[in-house]
Amino acid sequence: MNKHLSILFAAILFVTAQAHAETEDHSGHNMDHSGHDMSHDHEHDMSHHGDDDHKIDDPEDHSMHHADDHSDHSAHGHGHHHMDDSHIMDHEGGMIMGQIKDKLPSSCDSISEDIEITVHAGKKYAEKFPGTMFAFDKQEWRVKPCARITWHLVNDDHVRHQFMMHGLPRYMYNNGMFHLEVTGPRTISGTMIVPASDETYLVHCDISQHMEKGMKAQLVVGNGSEDLPSIPGLTPYAFPDTYPYEDLPQVSDKDDEDTIMEQITDFIDSTPVLSGMLIIGLLLGALIAPIVSRIISLRKKEEAPE
Amino acid sequence: MPIKILTTVLAYLCIAAMATAQASLKLPETVKVDPAALTAEPICDPKISAAWREAQVIEGVHIQESRRCSPDNPHLIAAVVKGTNNISMGTLMETALSPDTIIKTDDIDGDGDPDRIIIRLEVMELNGQSPDFEGLIPTFDIAPGVQPGAWVFAPKTRGMSTENFESVRANSLLRLPSPVIRVEQGDIVQIVLENTHYLPHTIHLHGVDHPFTHHGGHVAGGDGVPQTSEMFLMPGESRTYEFQARQTGTMLYHCHVQTHTHLAMGLVGMIIVEENRPNNWVQTLNVGGGQVRQPSVAILEEFDQEYDLHYHAMDKELHEIIQKYNDPRLVARDMNRKYDITDSTEDYFTLNGLSFPYTLRESIITVEADQKIKLRVANTASEMLALHTHGHKATITHYDGIEHNPIAQIQRDVYDIGPAQRLDLTLNTTNDGLNSYGEGIWLFHDHREKGITTNGMSPGGNVSSITYKSYLNEMGLPMGIGIDVSKYFTKEFHARTLPIFQDLDEVGSLGAPAGQSRLESFNPESRTDMLNLFYGLLAGILLYLLFAKRQQTLQAVSGITAKLKGSKGSANNE
Repeated sequence: MNKHLSILFAAILFVTAQAHAETEDHSGHNMDHSGHDMSHDHEHDMSHHGDDDHKIDDPEDHSMHHADDHSDHSAHGHGHHHMDDSHIMDHEGGMIMGQIKDKLPSSCDSISEDIEITVHAGKKYAEKFPGTMFAFDKQEWRVKPCARITWHLVNDDHVRHQFMMHGLPRYMYNNGMFHLEVTGPRTISGTMIVPASDETYLVHCDISQHMEKGMKAQLVVGNGSEDLPSIPGLTPYAFPDTYPYEDLPQVSDKDDEDTIMEQITDFIDSTPVLSGMLIIGLLLGALIAPIVSRIISLRKKEEAPE
Repeated sequence: MPIKILTTVLAYLCIAAMATAQASLKLPETVKVDPAALTAEPICDPKISAAWREAQVIEGVHIQESRRCSPDNPHLIAAVVKGTNNISMGTLMETALSPDTIIKTDDIDGDGDPDRIIIRLEVMELNGQSPDFEGLIPTFDIAPGVQPGAWVFAPKTRGMSTENFESVRANSLLRLPSPVIRVEQGDIVQIVLENTHYLPHTIHLHGVDHPFTHHGGHVAGGDGVPQTSEMFLMPGESRTYEFQARQTGTMLYHCHVQTHTHLAMGLVGMIIVEENRPNNWVQTLNVGGGQVRQPSVAILEEFDQEYDLHYHAMDKELHEIIQKYNDPRLVARDMNRKYDITDSTEDYFTLNGLSFPYTLRESIITVEADQKIKLRVANTASEMLALHTHGHKATITHYDGIEHNPIAQIQRDVYDIGPAQRLDLTLNTTNDGLNSYGEGIWLFHDHREKGITTNGMSPGGNVSSITYKSYLNEMGLPMGIGIDVSKYFTKEFHARTLPIFQDLDEVGSLGAPAGQSRLESFNPESRTDMLNLFYGLLAGILLYLLFAKRQQTLQAVSGITAKLKGSKGSANNE
């Protein structure tokens, strides 16, 4: 009986500690939102914000422009391709799609705020979220309705990443998308304007498995709408994995003379009996037992008058 | 209430018993599956423009006709021949390539073609898991509804991995197999591997003349072996494999990290070193393999056509791992520690990434009489391939890229190719009873019979055909006089729910028999067991009711006994 109680106690402690850790983690994120670092010390900064040089008269003109020379590896390298101001691609595959600088959404009378947000993308930002591989440095950004945002996507990896936003009004944004894409280490920038309604927009990288493995975030306009699922540290997975206990080798296994404390911790750490299901069972049992006894006693009371 | 239930149950038992008695008099009728009940897809994908099949010139690149149902996009051919740096924006936009996927520069030897070639590859997952919904993403069917999880080297693309935001299907450049790479002898080639995947990978150039290592192996790649020549290329990192091939031939490239699983997952492709010739712009990539629409100068000197045939096989259990977990640590656990390749069996057999019937769409060899066709065959399965050509005996000219002594070259109709080996074959369509038996639709397939199945069901696997043009319809499909192939383009066929012999005759003498009721379908022994179980259940319910309503029961019993006593008493009284 005593042994069972101690296991139960350990389990409760364990669960509480976990919950505590998770809350701390979460709040840590929310605090992050205030500081947007604006470092621009990257070699190949190719920001386009506020730069109207690239405007061309004929939006159907698909000819190549040799305006900027980024050709560091190729004599045949060409400059930026302009489909129009909203769709720009350079010779290394840096892309800006759905850029809007001046056109107001029909729901807005004026621009409410002009802000710049730097988003870092890369493997290292996934380190704080075990079980992911790629991430943005932040998982949520908040802006006012009718804000004009210039995004600086800083790709810290040496592969392609994307900053792809969905669900924007289709009369302004082709397929409802705003999209930045760049192979790192490099920065790409683009400007957009959000509508007046409270809305939460999906931001992700669409390269196979990048969103699934953590590169997912949300832009909250005003009060936002519903949170999106599976954002690291923010919202739980809709279909989470299960993690069965694995008896991995430990340094303590090699010690011959364990202290009593070590033996106890070993017991708690390594006894397969102390599985997640058992803990859940114990908690459920502890929760339900009083309710059942209450019901029984109520029943008895009801029966008593008879 | 219990009485009602009891009578219902008894009635059911009676009916069942009657049905059992009747079943022995007449066997069930044949039930035919109505074609309207099938999830069918068009035999030929209607989205593909017919103009893609024509011979044409784009960006100065002469593209051969391709009379297949799914020919390669000719704009893609132009882009990979000229390099993405030497084509117009319009041509590039017709492909999903990134502007820096293939950079061709510097005619070092002054012979009219570029000699410095940069090829950028990414690592893409197909049919992977999502924590957001139960399906797979991005999907790639090797046959209708058959979606093994896979990894491929893919040409660097731009934009989405899927066709569009509404679709979960992979864009056309993300597919099995890893693309065939072609370079010219003496070219200074850089393959830049950008590891977009969540596990470490490398590239090992199998058979291609390459340096063992470059500068310590951290930045530049060498032999691709993490235990000897370089480090693991981690997710988000990039590495350049530079080489200048002195020898020609049909070779391979593959990932050398945990090769026993990573190669089988799809990280393997063919790489071909073509002979050096003036003005020789080779088709740097052949996405999806098959017909080379712009063969090299040296090939055209001797041959009318050229085909890349990449055979592969997959163990279902291995390819399911990435569909079970989202967490990369769990994928690594199962791949590295739980999966046991010595217990594996191959279930899917592909030719150029696809199994029958999709092989009919893009892997047929379309020929005319009196042609010479170069076939480059690679086997990347873990077992021997016994490739058989109906109606033709081809000559083996090269083993593993090395020319066999011309006098000793042999002609066969079954070509055995071990794992990772390559054969160059010359297919001669001269109708002389030896090289060719004449025009027709002649199958070519693995003659280990499991090779012509998909997960053990036939027809499937790597079956395709050498089809003479006179037997092709305008969509590039073989016009056989055999049965209608459309039923193979249904999900139900591959899900094993379509009886394929049902339409062999009008009455459906080999169709599926109508099913019997549950009780009937049990054999007598298990039927008794089921009945016993049923009676036991009834008894249990009765006992429970007796116990639960024991007060009423007791009252009833006492009432009855009282009545009996009463009646006795009264009888006594009388």
